[in-house]
Amino acid sequence: MRGGSKTSLIGVAVTSAAASAVLSLWVTGAAGQVKVPARIVGKPNLSGIWQANNEAHWDLEAHEARPGAVTQAGVYPYEYAKVPAAPSLPFGAAGGVPGSIGVVQGDGKIPYTPEALKIKEQNAANWIDRDPEVKCYLPGTPRGMYMPYPIQITHSTNKVHVAYSFSAASRTIHLDTVDNPPDDTWMGHSLGRWEGDTLVVDSRHFNDKTWFDRAGNYHSEALHVVERFSLMTPDVIRYEATIEDPKTFTRPWQISMPLYRRMEASMQLLEYRCTEFVEEFLLGMLRREQLVKRWESETMVIDITRRVPEGDRFYDWYGK
Amino acid sequence: MRKVLMSSATTLILAAGLLKFTSVPVVGQRAKPDAGAAKPATVAATFKTPWGDPDLQGIWMPEFMTPFERPDWVGNREFFTDEERKALDERRAKRLGRDFRATKGTVADVSGAYSEVFRTRKRTGPRTSLIVDPSNGRMPPVTPEVQKRRQAQREYELMLLQASQACKDGENVCRGGKYAPPSPRFHDPAPVYPVNGVNRSDNPEDHGLIVRCLSGYIPAGGNGPGFPGADGSYNEVRRIVQTPGGISMNYDVGQGQGFQRTIVMNGSPHLPPHVRQWWGDSRGRWEGNTLVIDITNFSFKVDYMGSRGNMHVVERYTRTGPDTIEYVVTLEDPTTWTRPWTVKDILHKQSDKENRIYAEPRCHEGNYGLPGLLRGARMEEKAYTEGRGPNPAEICQNGCNGVGDDAEQVVGDFAPLK
Repeated sequence: MRGGSKTSLIGVAVTSAAASAVLSLWVTGAAGQVKVPARIVGKPNLSGIWQANNEAHWDLEAHEARPGAVTQAGVYPYEYAKVPAAPSLPFGAAGGVPGSIGVVQGDGKIPYTPEALKIKEQNAANWIDRDPEVKCYLPGTPRGMYMPYPIQITHSTNKVHVAYSFSAASRTIHLDTVDNPPDDTWMGHSLGRWEGDTLVVDSRHFNDKTWFDRAGNYHSEALHVVERFSLMTPDVIRYEATIEDPKTFTRPWQISMPLYRRMEASMQLLEYRCTEFVEEFLLGMLRREQLVKRWESETMVIDITRRVPEGDRFYDWYGK
Repeated sequence: MRKVLMSSATTLILAAGLLKFTSVPVVGQRAKPDAGAAKPATVAATFKTPWGDPDLQGIWMPEFMTPFERPDWVGNREFFTDEERKALDERRAKRLGRDFRATKGTVADVSGAYSEVFRTRKRTGPRTSLIVDPSNGRMPPVTPEVQKRRQAQREYELMLLQASQACKDGENVCRGGKYAPPSPRFHDPAPVYPVNGVNRSDNPEDHGLIVRCLSGYIPAGGNGPGFPGADGSYNEVRRIVQTPGGISMNYDVGQGQGFQRTIVMNGSPHLPPHVRQWWGDSRGRWEGNTLVIDITNFSFKVDYMGSRGNMHVVERYTRTGPDTIEYVVTLEDPTTWTRPWTVKDILHKQSDKENRIYAEPRCHEGNYGLPGLLRGARMEEKAYTEGRGPNPAEICQNGCNGVGDDAEQVVGDFAPLK
C-alpha cells in the first residue's frame, strides 16, 4: 500500500492525456442520439440504441408470407390455402406474417436431429401455448437481439451492458474475469473479448426455456452461443451468432444480420413491461368474475364479434 | 511499485495511440479504502473514466442499515454513538436466530419464518436517519387529499378483513376495525388502483404489485419503503456501466424484481407528460464530479410512499472514495407532500469478480404463487357453495396471516435501547 497516493497521481495524469486523445475523435455523424467518440480505448464504440429490421423474430429460416400468426384449414385442404384462425382474424392484414429470405447461413436450414425436429414442429403447431415470448418470459440469447423492440448497448472498458426494451431484460457482457453464475440463466452468462475490431461474446449456462423465434425453433440447456459484433458503418453492426447444442442440432449453425442504429434525434429506450400485459392471458381464467367469458379449463375460447362501423366507405358501397 | 510505474508509463504511450487503456482503474483501487475520505472532491477527481467522466462504475450496495426516519429516542442527534451502534447490532444479531416466534403451529409462525430466511440483517450505520431534510430526520406530512385517499383505502381494507379470524382475535392488522359479519360490499373494487395486497383473492390485482411481480421502484430499494438500506431487510444491489454520453443502471432488488434503466444524457427535455413509465424518465447530467439524474413521468400505477404519478425525483451520485458513493436523493410532489424531502446514504463497492448481482431468476417466470392463491380461492368458493367449507369472506386470504407481527419486528430494529 506504500506509495498509494503517488500511483493515484500518475493515474490522473494518464487519464487526462487519454481523455484529450479520445475527445479529438468525437464524431457527430454517427447518431441523432448523442455525439459519441468513434472508438473507446482503441476499440470500435458499439454504444447506442439498435434494432434489427427483419423478419427473424417470426422465423429464422426462409419462409413465405402467411395470412395469420395462427392459421387453420380453409375450404380447400392445401397447406397454401389456409386461412387466419380466430386469434389472428380480427387484426386483418395487421395479423399476418411477412415473408423472409431467412438469416440462417449456408443452406438456410437449422440442422435439427430427427427427434428434435419433431419437437420443433409440435412447437410451431402449438405456438401460442408454448412460445415463452407470448408469456413475457425473458427472451434469451440470441433471440433478444432481433425482436421487434430496440436494445441499448452501453460500451465500457471492462463491461458491455445490453438493455432490452422487451420485458425490461438485460445482460452484462464481461470483458474482465468473473465467477460463474450460481445457476443456469435465461439470458446466458456472457464473456466478451476483442478479436481486432470485432467483439466476440461467448455465452453458456443457459436453461432450456427460451426459443429462437415464433416458429418453434428451440434449444436445450446445452446451448452455447458465440456472437460477433463488428461495425459495417458507424450506424450498422454486423451481428453474427454461432449456435451449438449437440442435444438438439447435428452441427453448429450460424445466423447473420445487420443491427441498425435508431437515428431519431430524440431516440430513447422506453419500457415494455409486458409482465402486466400478459396477466389476463396467463391468469384470466382464475378471476372470480372472468373478463374473457368462455374458458374451457385453461383454454381461452374467443368468440369474435366484429361490427362494421357506420359510415365506412367500403362497406357502405358493398351493401348497396 | 516499479512494476506499477512501468505499466503506467506504457499505458500512457498506448493510450495516446488509443490502443489500450486498462490499468488506471486498477491503480485507483490500490489506494487505501479510507484514503482521502475527508476530501470528497479530491477523491472524486481521482476516479475518472478513460474519456474523462467521473467513474461510478461497478456493483454497489448499501452495507449499513439506517433508520429511514429518526427514532424518537435519539432526539435531534444526527449520529449514533459507537456504543449505541454496537448495542443495536448485538440486539439484532440475537434476532437472527429468530428468538421471537409466534405461537407454534399458527399461520403467523410459519409465514414469518418464510420471510426471515430471505432477510439480511446489516450492521447499523453512523446516521440516525436516512432523511437529512427536513432536519428532524422525519418525512414531511402528506397533503389532506392523500390523507383522505389513505383513509378511504384503510376503510376498504378493514371492510375486507372484518369477518376474518385476525379481527376476531384483535390482531394488529385489524387495528381501527372491528369484528363483524362479511360485508355486502366484499366484492367491490378498491377506491384507488390497488398497489398493496388486500384480504381478498377475486383478482390478481387484489394481491398487490409485489405478488404480481410488478414491484421494483425508483428510487430503488427493497420491498420496504424503497430506499437503499432503509430497513435493510432485502439486499439492494445495482450495477453501473458508463460509456461516453450514456449510463446504464441494472438493479437487483426485492425477490427477483430487479430492472434496468438507461439514463438519457443528451440534454433533451423529458418525455411528453402523457407518456408514463413504471420507472419514470431519467435524464442525467454531470455537475462537476456529481452525476445528477432528474426523473419525472412516473406511472399512476406506482405508489411511492403516497405519491402517484406526480413525483419529481433528483438523484445525485458522487464518488467519495475507492469503495464509496454518496447517494443523495430529493423527492417532491406538491400533490402528496407538504414540502420536498431529501435522503442521503452511502453505497459500497462490491467485488466485480464475485459478480454477486442477479438479474435472474426473475419473479415473473417462476410466479407459481399468484395462480396458486387465485386457484385456492376459487376452490374455497366452490367448497362453500357445496356446503363443505366456511364463507371465503371469513378466511384469511392475504395480509392477515402474521405479516403485521413480522413487520413489527423490523420496526423494532431501532426500538429504544434499554
